[in-house]
Amino acid sequence: MAKKIRIVLTLQLPAGKATPAPPVGTALGPHGINIVEFTKSYNEKTADKLGQVIPAQITVFEDRSFTFVLKTPPAPDLLRKAAGIDKGSQTPKRAVAGRVTRDQVRAIAEQKMPDLNVNDVEAGMKVIEGTARSMGIEVVG
Amino acid sequence: MSGPLDGLDLAGAAAAKDAWLELSVAADHEAVEAVSEILSRAAPGGTSVEPAFELVEDGLAARLDLARPALVRAYLPVRSPEAVRSAVAQADRELGHLQAFGLRPIGDLGARLVREADWANAWKVHFPVLRVGRRIVIRPTWRRHRRQPDDVVLALDPGMAFGTGLHPTTRLCLAALEALADRGALDGARVLDVGSGSGILSIGAARLGAASVLAVDVDPIAVEASAANARRNRLARRIRVREGSAPSGEGPFDVVLANLIASLLVTLADGLAEDLRPGGTLLASGIFANREAEVVAALGRRGLSIARRWTEGDWVALEAVRPPG
Repeated sequence: MAKKIRIVLTLQLPAGKATPAPPVGTALGPHGINIVEFTKSYNEKTADKLGQVIPAQITVFEDRSFTFVLKTPPAPDLLRKAAGIDKGSQTPKRAVAGRVTRDQVRAIAEQKMPDLNVNDVEAGMKVIEGTARSMGIEVVG
Repeated sequence: MSGPLDGLDLAGAAAAKDAWLELSVAADHEAVEAVSEILSRAAPGGTSVEPAFELVEDGLAARLDLARPALVRAYLPVRSPEAVRSAVAQADRELGHLQAFGLRPIGDLGARLVREADWANAWKVHFPVLRVGRRIVIRPTWRRHRRQPDDVVLALDPGMAFGTGLHPTTRLCLAALEALADRGALDGARVLDVGSGSGILSIGAARLGAASVLAVDVDPIAVEASAANARRNRLARRIRVREGSAPSGEGPFDVVLANLIASLLVTLADGLAEDLRPGGTLLASGIFANREAEVVAALGRRGLSIARRWTEGDWVALEAVRPPG
């Protein structure tokens, strides 16, 4: 079918637990797509990833039908897991919330490459390191 | 000191118990995840990210523009003004720290109040009962319709498959189907629907007199949607749905429906012609006006000639016939 695109957007949601409440309802409602079908389908596809944040990139077509693909988890989520902490530091300049190794940063950059706007893993690592520092996570080794 | 919450009636919103606070920040692509992380600490339900993008290939594809900032939004329910103020102040401070870590600049934190709505149902207002042509009525499953004697009613649950009836290409094809039916060309016909999407055209063909319809689509989600909508219209026995394209390997058919796009119609022209019996009719839709000549030429090379054309806005649908014998 002639699927002309109206808009693309991404929702970063708790895997398996999306509801029509914001941000889902506020982001998708104005485009008039079947929100319940989205949440049901998203929750089914992410049911095995409970506890993670899994972004869904949604394409809404001109006739208000839609499709979505799942993306790699956000870097902060992966960094927290690598550092073994629940949350980042609220005062990242002063308090260290946790530590990750350069190898862990490299592994995260490699996982995130499809969704990063960089040409090589080295540049990807710089982005991940910036995100780590912004969370008070120190990169060691 | 000024802040993102200036001028907002948080106390009133908390008393009414029906408001959310929307936090929004424009952020460079690289900083989107860090900004989302900070906003989600204040608003744990998740974030929405609206990237800048441009449409390419006549609007059939979108290319994200990573050089321009994306808008990140998050929402927290307004229960207590103090808790909201503290969460927002914290988020504002953390966003202020971001630039110290080598991520490119981001915009200021914005805030506004959003009224609670019935989000699970509000989208339905966009799908009214639609009349197409003279007789065809597309009825979203949750709506009622007072049927006129001649009405051909198609019940549809719009969702993840194209073909809700809101797009001109679908409506053109339905109008062309109705014209075929008016001439008796659908009575007892075997029909193939290539790229069935929601199944709307298959259902229309069956309702207008076709004896059997084979609906094929390369997208498994569309196959599921076509089958579900056929069941909804009690047409599961006359409409068979499977993954596939043209040639279907089950031809020839009296009528072939192909609401695709111009480039795909050109690519599939051999298969579409192969699926059509001599004297049969092909309805080709989804053609942007400036691509019409290409499609006409491709069909012409397979011996099909254009009998009629329908237009709406920039879109064209063609009725092509294969010569008898």
